[in-house]
Amino acid sequence: MIVKHLKELYGYRNLIWQLAWSEFKLRYKNSILGYFWSLLEPLLMLLVLYVVFSNLMRVQVEYYQLFLLLGIILWGFFSRATTIGMFSIVGKPSMVKKIYFPRDIFVISSCITALLMSIFESLIFIMFMVFFRVPISINLVYVPLILSFLFIISLGFSLILSALNVFYRDVQFIWQVLLQIGYFGTPILYTIDIFPKYLQKFVLLNPIARILISARDTIIYSSPAKIEDLLFMFLSSIFFLLVGYIIFSRLEPRFAEEI
Amino acid sequence: MTAIEVEHLHKTFRIPHEKRTTLFETLTGAFKPPTYETFHALRDINFTVEEGEALGIIGENGSGKSTLLKIIANILRPSSGKVTALKKLTPFLELGVGFQSDLTAAENIKIYATIMGMQKKEINDKLDEILEFAGLENFRDAKLKNFSSGMQVRLAFSTAIQTDPEILLMDEVLAVGDMEFQQKCLDVLSQYRKDGVTIVFVSHDLGAVRRFCDRTLLLNKGEQIVLGDTGDVIDRYVYGGGEEASTPSNIKNESEPAETEDSPEDKNPRWGDKTVEITNVEFYDKFGNKGFRFNSFDPMTIKIFYHAHKKVFDPVFGIALYSENGENLFGTNTELKTVEIETLEGKGHVDLIIERIPMITGRFLLTVAVHTHDQKPYDWHDKQYSFDVIPTGRDAGLFEVPCNWKI
Repeated sequence: MIVKHLKELYGYRNLIWQLAWSEFKLRYKNSILGYFWSLLEPLLMLLVLYVVFSNLMRVQVEYYQLFLLLGIILWGFFSRATTIGMFSIVGKPSMVKKIYFPRDIFVISSCITALLMSIFESLIFIMFMVFFRVPISINLVYVPLILSFLFIISLGFSLILSALNVFYRDVQFIWQVLLQIGYFGTPILYTIDIFPKYLQKFVLLNPIARILISARDTIIYSSPAKIEDLLFMFLSSIFFLLVGYIIFSRLEPRFAEEI
Repeated sequence: MTAIEVEHLHKTFRIPHEKRTTLFETLTGAFKPPTYETFHALRDINFTVEEGEALGIIGENGSGKSTLLKIIANILRPSSGKVTALKKLTPFLELGVGFQSDLTAAENIKIYATIMGMQKKEINDKLDEILEFAGLENFRDAKLKNFSSGMQVRLAFSTAIQTDPEILLMDEVLAVGDMEFQQKCLDVLSQYRKDGVTIVFVSHDLGAVRRFCDRTLLLNKGEQIVLGDTGDVIDRYVYGGGEEASTPSNIKNESEPAETEDSPEDKNPRWGDKTVEITNVEFYDKFGNKGFRFNSFDPMTIKIFYHAHKKVFDPVFGIALYSENGENLFGTNTELKTVEIETLEGKGHVDLIIERIPMITGRFLLTVAVHTHDQKPYDWHDKQYSFDVIPTGRDAGLFEVPCNWKI
């Protein structure tokens, strides 16, 4: 069944890409600075957070600018993918009601849109890497793997949210609140060490926290990812994808009636 | 070979009395189970469509035609029963699905063509052709929002017809657009017919259904009334067998007696001294059934029931036919046709036999009257009766003029 669905999705690869790419273009079409907005936004964020945390709160971390920027970009991806994904079904009523293709294509392509936006932002990060002369190591091989886990987890969440949002329109508000909580419950602005020991265990239950830690270790600090972390990320991406598909496919038959 | 198979298909919609759209409402209402109105959109539908066949689906509004088409297209799911499509489906339920007004014509073509199942290379090859066919070569990079709605429809249509469907599902796409556009659609449809594409066609345009469909399915309130040869099914639909639903509402046989004697023609649609009263007027179709709907070019009989309260000499029965806007189209009476009625007494009926209805389409109003030889009305019902004519051919206008082309 899974193989059959993957084959079907492969047959629709053009559609997935077209939807993702047109959505990406649309996001910037009507702004004067166009694509540069997406560069400016994380830069401004970085500036504010850097000033606040390194000067006022005196966080002592090596390459704190990069540490912060990577956190902003990766968390930004998760938050953006799930938010765009959440609206991917309810935002396209005419398509849902008038034509059929596997409905998860909407969700997958909106996660790809988020990915395109984040890749674009990452250009700044690469520029920073060069500017601060961060040494590059063989440990970068882990990066694609870690980012794939992040993508799959985001997709899983998007599937759940997009399906629920068709039936319960307040899901969007609830999710915004949860994202805010997640923002502070995840070591984005600070290292995990600032949490007390007993709390650290709970923080590490959050797969995004592990993704951030491993990504920083491998990209910025030239150290390998921990096997334990990789395993945890792997299992949680399977878990969220599975739960996502179970909920999505149970609710999907009634989309066209409810929307 | 069978292309589509529909077995015992049921579809019910649950319409909640009070819609809960938020999690909050669902939680607070957890102890008060929601109440539903169940609506049976389709009941026990069974049919198969053979490969290369064109099946028409007709019926009144709300009979479940579009629901059925959407279920075949897999957009809606059956409540019970099964629908199997053994080939690739291409639904034309709406033109321009997924059009984005902020993208350019070329970009929109790419997206729409991809949605309709075309491959990337094919799209790039045909892009110019599509733009040319739509007559929009110069607007390739213009944003869709600057297009008129006519241009958008042309763009969507030119793109849609580039697809290579195996099974085409078509729903009233023809209903939008002007005559020229409808003609284009029909041409494309006949091309697909020639190419052996299986077609399921939902339409109110009985003329088009008659022309294109081998077989037709008639639905009424979600039930499968009849499936068979298109001509027979359309007859069945038009002459429905005493459908109470189709009775035009503006028929009032028992109009109030004339109160204002002074200017009857302005206000009261009925006047006369009622020595002879017209008690009823009925229309009969070619099967001898009473009805209000007729195929054009079919026969029809108008029965005028009278009651002569006392013996009258030399009365004249007449009718006048009006279009819906009140233009007088035709009038005749027994005197003009040199039918003499010497005396009239008691109850009876006079029949007007029309061998061939020459009107093409529309609603027609009828005045029925009985008067003395010297035009003094006994009973005059001004435009009190109406019937509908359904087109069977494709000629345009109100009336058929018998003619032939010679080259």
